[in-house]
Formats: sequence, C-alpha cells, structure tokens
Amino acid sequence: MNNALYTVVYISICLIVGYLFNHLIGGLPPSLYGMVLFTLLLHFRLCDALRVKASITWGIKHMGVCFVPAGVGIINHYQLIKTHGIMLVAITFISTFLILTFVGLLFQSIENKSNSID
Amino acid sequence: MINIQLITTSLLFSGITLLIYQGFAWLQNKSGKIWLNPMLLSIFFLIALCILFHIDVQSYEQSTLLLSNLLEPAVVALGYPLYQHLNTMKSQWKHMTLLLAAGAVLVISSSYIFTMIIIELPSIAVSLSLKSITTPVGIALTEQLNGNTAITAFAIILAGLFGAIFGIKWLTLINVTSPKVQGLAIGAASHALGTATVSQLSYQHAAYSSFALIISATITAIISPSLITQIQLLLF
Repeated sequence: MNNALYTVVYISICLIVGYLFNHLIGGLPPSLYGMVLFTLLLHFRLCDALRVKASITWGIKHMGVCFVPAGVGIINHYQLIKTHGIMLVAITFISTFLILTFVGLLFQSIENKSNSID
Repeated sequence: MINIQLITTSLLFSGITLLIYQGFAWLQNKSGKIWLNPMLLSIFFLIALCILFHIDVQSYEQSTLLLSNLLEPAVVALGYPLYQHLNTMKSQWKHMTLLLAAGAVLVISSSYIFTMIIIELPSIAVSLSLKSITTPVGIALTEQLNGNTAITAFAIILAGLFGAIFGIKWLTLINVTSPKVQGLAIGAASHALGTATVSQLSYQHAAYSSFALIISATITAIISPSLITQIQLLLF
C-alpha cells in the first residue's frame, strides 16, 4: 500500500474509533480521542511510524488552512461585538496573556532547575 | 438529486481559500517573517473579499465545510509528534498536568470575575471563562452552564488567534525560550489553533502543545461546573 494511503487509513480508523468513544462515554471530542489512540498505536508499533512520517509532516504543515473558514465567520458576530463593546475582546486578550505567562514562566523555571541538576 | 450548483460553489470557495492561504504561506516563507501569519492574513483578506463582493459570510462558511471538516483528521495527526516525545514527557507529566490544572483555574476564575465586574452578565462570564479550550468541549460546557454559545465560539477563535500571533513573541520577550515550554503554554492558552501554528516551528512545540490541548480540555470539563458555581456563590 502507498504510504499516503496507509496514513489516511490509520488516521481514519483512529477518528472513527474516536467518534465511537465520544458517542459511548462523551467527554472529549472525537478528534482528541483519535489523537490519543493514534499516539498509542504508534507507541506500541501497531502503526509504522516511518511510513506515516512524510504524509503527517505535510498535513501538519498545512493544517492552518482548516481554521480559515471559522476565522472568517467571526464577522458574523459583528452585532455581538457592537453591543458588548470592545470589552469582550479586551477580557479575552488579557486572560489569554495571563495563562500564557503563568504556564510559561512556571514551566520554564521547572525546566531551568532540572537542566541545572543534569 | 445532487445539487450541482452547491458542489460548484463549494469547490470554488474552498479552492479560492486554499489558493489565498498558499499565497500567503509562500510570502511568509520567502520573507522569513513570522508575523506574516498565513492563517490570519487569509482571514482578513477573505473577509475583505466577502464585503467587497457582497458574499454572505454564512454561505461562505457553508461552502467551505470541506476545509473545516479536515480539521478533525489534522488534530488526529498531531498524535505523531506526541508519540515522538512521549518518552521525554514521561518524567514531567505530573508537573505539566499540575501546572495546566492551575492554569485552567486561573483563566476560568480571572475571566469570570473580570466579566462580572465589567459586563455584569453571568451568561457572558460563563462563555468567556471557557474560551481557552477546544471548540467542541467549550460549546458543550457553555450549554451545560447556561452560557451564550455564540460568544463562546467567538471568544475561542479570538483566544486562538491571540496566542497564534503574539504567543511566541511574548514568551520570548519574557525569557521563556524552551520549545517545550512555549508549546505547553500556547496549547494551554490557544487550543488547536495555537497548536497548529506552533507546530510549524518544531515537533517539540507540536508535542507539548498537543499535550496541553488534551489535558486542558479534560481538566476544564471536570472542574469548570463546580468552580464557576462556587465563584458565583462566593462573590456575586
């Protein structure tokens, strides 16, 4: 089987099982269950990492385009932004930077410590 | 009967989107400037096109479902970088999970409190406190907690774009330079959108960001219902 096809088959299987999990136990969305399953298949050598490498690299490099339609859709909420003013954007902006800074600084200091011990 | 017109518009809009994205990606490669983000530039460019040619944005979104649907297999593919770094992550997963849990508490409570002070509407406060996680989980939790799903959808994309555009720059500025740490922080703040952007930099970024994406969504789903109720009871 062609490597690209091999990758598509494995990704599809993981996604379908992801849907099954989501349907049965709920919780995470199908794609995240699929991601965990794909990691496990690769880890336990049930899927050949060498064969999927090239297609995966290509896919990840181009996945940004999948967000474009949803991003354009932001303009649908124009009325919403107008009513609640710029405050919505401001609160989102500030709290996003808050968590970036918090996780970033703390994990970096843990990293620095463990590097200095090594 | 298959609707020929629907298929033609769908192929046309998806094709144009791909072309524009590829054009900006080429421009970014050529210039080497990270701020020339092809995703963001394509969004602005397409919004301008829609306004200029009086194209209904909702019908544009409908016609490009093909591209939006590819997001799911793309997220599954992130399992590959995760697999590659699984061994190095093993020693740190406890620290990382704890940190992400603390981060989730921080972002939920700060967003909720800020919104209640400024806008004073609980439904919007719920929506904004659930914006750092992946869309399907954020929307489901918003419904459960009586938030406003349109605002959640909007805020999730906004949080994603902020992290994707300014994340790496900001982290570098505050001396957070390790690819692992940058990945984890951006995954925690900007879900799949941020993860897609940092995954272009290295697989180490991709792996840690994907880890944060899953763990943050899980933790938020578990803690947000009781956390939000508690804040509401104690403070407002």
